[in-house]
Amino acid sequence: MNIIETEMLTKRFRRYKKQAGIAGSVKGLIKRDYEEITSVSELDLNIKEGEFVGLIGPNGAGKTTLVKMLTGIIAPTSGKVSVMGYYPNDLKNDFKQQYAVVMGQKSQLFFDLTVEDTLRLFKEIYGIPEAKYQSAKNFFIKLFHVEELMNVQVRTMSLGERMKMELIVALLHNPRVLFLDEPTIGLDSVASKQIRGFLREINEVKGTTIILTSHYMEDIKALCSRSVVINHGSKIYDGNTEQLFERYQKHKKISLTFDAPMELPEIGFGVSMISETPYKKVMKVSREKASELLSFLMKFNPSDISVEEEDIGTIVERIYGEEGSSPDEIS
Amino acid sequence: MEFKRNIRVIKALIEIRFQNLMMFRLGFFGPFFVDGSLFLIQLMVFQAIYSNVDRIGTWGRGEMIVFIGTFSMINAINMVVYFFGINGLPQKIKNGDLDLYLTKPGSPLVRMTFEKINPGSLPLVGMSVLIIAYGIHQLGKPISGVAIAGYLFWIILMTILFYEMEVIIRSICFFVLSNANVTRIEEIGLELCMKIPGIVFYGGYRLLFCCILPYGIMATLPVQSLIGELSVLGAVYGILLTIIFTIITRGVWKRGVRCYNSASS
Repeated sequence: MNIIETEMLTKRFRRYKKQAGIAGSVKGLIKRDYEEITSVSELDLNIKEGEFVGLIGPNGAGKTTLVKMLTGIIAPTSGKVSVMGYYPNDLKNDFKQQYAVVMGQKSQLFFDLTVEDTLRLFKEIYGIPEAKYQSAKNFFIKLFHVEELMNVQVRTMSLGERMKMELIVALLHNPRVLFLDEPTIGLDSVASKQIRGFLREINEVKGTTIILTSHYMEDIKALCSRSVVINHGSKIYDGNTEQLFERYQKHKKISLTFDAPMELPEIGFGVSMISETPYKKVMKVSREKASELLSFLMKFNPSDISVEEEDIGTIVERIYGEEGSSPDEIS
Repeated sequence: MEFKRNIRVIKALIEIRFQNLMMFRLGFFGPFFVDGSLFLIQLMVFQAIYSNVDRIGTWGRGEMIVFIGTFSMINAINMVVYFFGINGLPQKIKNGDLDLYLTKPGSPLVRMTFEKINPGSLPLVGMSVLIIAYGIHQLGKPISGVAIAGYLFWIILMTILFYEMEVIIRSICFFVLSNANVTRIEEIGLELCMKIPGIVFYGGYRLLFCCILPYGIMATLPVQSLIGELSVLGAVYGILLTIIFTIITRGVWKRGVRCYNSASS
């Protein structure tokens, strides 16, 4: 059963284009030039209950706008949208009772108080009976290992701890759908990994449908069996995440740091050097040859090595570049 | 059901606000002193204005003191209960902070209205009561229980009207980028109507301050009711105007939320 359905969903914004300088400002008083921005364009999307779907795309692709339309925060310009059978922008209480949204850049916690205090308020907002509230709270405290943080002032917590608390607050009323907009933004790799682990468990144990927007490839790869790639508001890929990366993520970026100046010999492996200084070398190599190259590079005793996946921008470019491909064909 | 939920949420918001304020002792006790001082300054201004004036229209010194106390009372209730919550609305619209309010069950407006109650302004309510009591004493005539009940009814009604004006003016930000000029008109209108009763307005001023920006009737109608000067027509007008402004507030808010475009992330 589809829990989310959109058909030709479109959102356009109008923005004022001001000419530079005082003359432009004066002209703007009399006549204004506006340009229309299509943030989401004729998007069709169906998501089944219990799915864990990744919405990927570079900055400004339209991911957040799509989430805002699905949660009812903003109204679509045209097209159809249904989430759990509701038109989101009607903002019906029954609808809002069944989903939660976590925005990586917006907090719903009271910074000067403890999480326990915030939870109490949300208990009333969602009308959760005391027994249910206690049991849900204890479940998440155990899952997130945050017993000792419940009575600590939020402002004294690390970013990773705060994100765990944001998730607890969002999940307290046991939503059917959880929208996550860049939940790991700014987190270090350890905290990101922890958050990913919790999200996976919530999806599996509670059967919560999760829609995750991120431009961190690691999040999507680790969590989402299905990915939807959006660029310039249009869907350019909708399908299996593994296949997406298999097909379009062709290279890895390897960075080496040395304690002393290092001159590397001719490396081979089809490597292309991205940047090079006596102390640091950054190179790109095909995924197949990455492990072989790493073994070779270890011979030069680097003080630090990092291996990164290609970013979403490169993947989008590659999807576009694929000869004769259209969104329908690649999905 | 919805009403019960709102009551529970309001109770929780008040509790959380008190807890928040009490985290900082100076922040908690400071406003009592600051608001009290500002109120005394305001009283001195009134004293300077009215010490040499015996009558304004049909009103004498006693009526004027009750009027000043009444406006201070409505303003103090506004400051205690909803001003700081509603005043933050334009910023929330601009920054996209309204997102998290819209995605929670219950009315975002109820939540915003009661989330920043300000106990620091409570002494103003007490001082206003004292001024009103002194004014009644100056009137030199007995006031019946029915007159006091009627007076309280008008205080509540005019407080609602005051609230609606604040919401409408701040909701303009749903449609335009800034409402700074409108809030200036609000400030000037309030300042004027706080000093001069609505009975002295005529012509264009009467239209402006008794109909469009009805600050002119907010303290005038309760005082007229208390001293037995309020005509049936005046009472019907006050009730009708409040109902009309309730409908306008509801419409502007609903339309505003539909127009809300959040802010780019």
